[in-house]
Amino acid sequence: MTLNQRQMVDNDRSRFDFKDNIVYLTETKRGLTRQTVEEISALKNEPEWMLKFRLRAYEHFLKRPMPMWTDGLDRIDFERIIYYRKPSEREEKSWDDVPDKIKETFERLGIPEAERMFLAGVGAQYDSEVVYHSVKEELTKLGVVFMGTDQALIEYPEIFKKYFGTVIPPEDNKFAALNSAVWSGGSFVYVPPGVDVPLPLQAYFRINGENTGQFERTLIVVDEGAKVHYIEGCTAPIYATDSLHAAVVEVIALPRSKVRYTTIQNWSNDVYNLVTKRAHAHEDSTVEWIDANTGSRKTVKYPSIYLRGRGATADIISVAVAGAGQHQDTGAKAIHLAPDTKSRIVSKSISKDGGRATYRGHLKVAPGATNVVASVRCDALMLDDISRSDTYPYIDIQEDDTHMSHEATVGKISQDQVFYLMSRGLSENEAQNLIVQGFLEVFTKELPMEYAIEFNRLVKLEMEGALG
Amino acid sequence: MTDALKLPFAGEDIARRLAQTLEEPNWLLEERLDGLRRYAELPAEMNPLFTTYLDLRSARFAELEPYAETTAAVEVSETVPEGAAALIHVDEDRVVARALSREARDAGVVLDTFDNVLRERPHLLQDAVEGAATLPLDDKFAQFARAHYALGLLVHVPDGAVLERPIVLRWSSGAPGKGLVSRTVVTLGENASASILEEQLASVTKPNGEQSLWWGTTEVMLGDGAQLSFAAQQDFGPDTLMFVNRQATLGRDAQLRWALASVGAQLQKSRIDNRLVGRGSSVRQAEIGFGSGNQLFDLTSYTRHLGEDTTGDLLSKGVFSDRARGYFKGLIEIQRSARGTDSFLGEFAMLLNKKARSVAIPSLEIDQPDVRRASHSSSVGPIDDSQVFYLMSRGLPRDLARKFIVMGFLEPVVARIPLPEAQDRLRELLESKWPAAPEAEAA
Repeated sequence: MTLNQRQMVDNDRSRFDFKDNIVYLTETKRGLTRQTVEEISALKNEPEWMLKFRLRAYEHFLKRPMPMWTDGLDRIDFERIIYYRKPSEREEKSWDDVPDKIKETFERLGIPEAERMFLAGVGAQYDSEVVYHSVKEELTKLGVVFMGTDQALIEYPEIFKKYFGTVIPPEDNKFAALNSAVWSGGSFVYVPPGVDVPLPLQAYFRINGENTGQFERTLIVVDEGAKVHYIEGCTAPIYATDSLHAAVVEVIALPRSKVRYTTIQNWSNDVYNLVTKRAHAHEDSTVEWIDANTGSRKTVKYPSIYLRGRGATADIISVAVAGAGQHQDTGAKAIHLAPDTKSRIVSKSISKDGGRATYRGHLKVAPGATNVVASVRCDALMLDDISRSDTYPYIDIQEDDTHMSHEATVGKISQDQVFYLMSRGLSENEAQNLIVQGFLEVFTKELPMEYAIEFNRLVKLEMEGALG
Repeated sequence: MTDALKLPFAGEDIARRLAQTLEEPNWLLEERLDGLRRYAELPAEMNPLFTTYLDLRSARFAELEPYAETTAAVEVSETVPEGAAALIHVDEDRVVARALSREARDAGVVLDTFDNVLRERPHLLQDAVEGAATLPLDDKFAQFARAHYALGLLVHVPDGAVLERPIVLRWSSGAPGKGLVSRTVVTLGENASASILEEQLASVTKPNGEQSLWWGTTEVMLGDGAQLSFAAQQDFGPDTLMFVNRQATLGRDAQLRWALASVGAQLQKSRIDNRLVGRGSSVRQAEIGFGSGNQLFDLTSYTRHLGEDTTGDLLSKGVFSDRARGYFKGLIEIQRSARGTDSFLGEFAMLLNKKARSVAIPSLEIDQPDVRRASHSSSVGPIDDSQVFYLMSRGLPRDLARKFIVMGFLEPVVARIPLPEAQDRLRELLESKWPAAPEAEAA
């Protein structure tokens, strides 16, 4: 990090720590019943097939047992959660029309600045509905669709129905079933054949309101030869009682396309963040997940890429920071289903103040997927001896010409490095901070400038909690 | 599927009858009954990390009937095989040879069955095994053996005794429809030093498709400063099911080396538990599986670092042809008390055919960051074509070049076998697997 960047890193944690008193116009009762699901669908005036889809998912959610391979999920009280909230009646066309209260929140998150600088479009999710949305004229001209998922269901029914739920069916896991039953909001992106979207598409998501479930659903379809970068960042106010975020993200990369999906997640420390993210990579396409998790009480998220077409490439960079009371159960999956496919997984985790960072990965080469090259690299840094780090890689190879390598290391900050930096005039905290940022650089360097600064700031705030 | 494991030859009546036949004291019967309770309660796989990779479908337990009794050991002879310090040979249900060299006898080495030990020096056995400390309490297979063994062996090397030559444990097994359930306990006193070579051979030369069973343990207790080198060669026939638990508890500065080679059997399910309790203790483990046909090697290894400054160096290698499969499930656990740990886990495989499969799960759980090293690595690949090309350019035919590369891949484990003759035998064994692995369609 340059000196300049370092000066830009400020210290004001309060910007992530606020709660507005919003009057919710429509919300469902606490708890989840068949009626809740029907109510949500009715409020949205959805087509019949979507209601059926939701109900099928709801039935599966009831039947499916809680996953046993990770712990702590039994503390989620599904009965206390409000599954749908609508903060304002219609989708906003321009920034000026956004209600002041909500605008204030976004300003504290820094959206307008970011937009001025490089935003192509903003889809901001305030609780369960997209309230603000702007797509630059340029993108509209290119035929790029970037809007709330609910709106897309109405406006682009054909393309929506063709792809929705095809990458992650409701039966995939318990939380995908829950999301499929009560989903609301999220982003929909369609990039037509051959179009190279010149700027990143960006969406901010945040939770507000105690016990609000957030079940956004994102669907990204990138047509043949097209190219796009989608970015989402999340911050949320801090509350004492548990909230739940169970999102589903589906990405379809059609032949020869290129998709990059960047996430910086900073849920407040009371949130259960259970996300199913999966991409289908078709022939000669490239899918990249760039994924960072710093907040939440517990995150369970393994960005996955199914390499379905010959010559497809998967690249996953996953970063997790686990502080006091947190468990980041994250990782990555690359499933090779076609010949000549490549994958690379890089995972970096930091645990401190009693936090626990878990890497869980799956690398699979299915019969028929010949000539695969795959690599996995996991590094974990532990900042004190009350924290914990786990690595659980699964490597299942069923083709004899696969080239696979996996490496993992776990360790602490080298005192030699700290000493060296301190001898050059840095305080101990600055030295450790710098080492941590260096450790995470493989991730940070993939981010656009503004995000890199924001991310470094987040890490620094986390570090100060630990080391100050 | 995994929890459905109900063995037709398990139960309290069987455990009690075995204890009665062997005239076991009450405390040992209690050990059996405790094992039985745990066996009944445990699922086939306790660790949710590994439940997906347990496959017992090839085992036809209903057609098997383990031996209800074994015959007493014959008189001790002094005729030991050349180069060995002692030998015990178990053929099916009987101890057919037991020999101690003068060296071993003078050093006070005990190599005998449980019933003999109980008559002569009962405390040797009681001190070692009472209280269930020598087998994993969360393992259904280990607890089955603890409750149902028909034969127990004790190897004891007293404080300060140093054996230059290895103790040989030889098992012949494979009678159709039959099976032996056994326990082997190995205790080394303070600063004792020994090596053990375990050989597992087929007793039946013409397999007829009827299954047989070998189910055993290796329960190792190393005193402070003790050193043990344990090598095993598993070369059972193609119809044998093999289950083994090996657990070692290491005292201060104790050193343990495992060199384990698996070639035979239809199914081998093994689990190793290394417990590095004493400060400065270290384990070096090398394990190979060479599978062909429909063989499945399910090789699990847990290494728990508990004491300070302990070292673990664990290496698994697999070569699989035809439809053979290898599951390498490893877990290194560094507990909070284990400052200064150095631990490495490596799982490497070579696949020779399209239908062969390798699964590696090299896991780490770390509660103490003050480590010298905590890492793992894993790779899977075919035989390197550039290496084949190089050897061919030196005049070797293609098939021989491929064979040499595979042998070279496995050699680091072979080289750790304590007896030179045994090393050679293992090399022959591995080479004999080769024709079973003709080159698949060009990679």
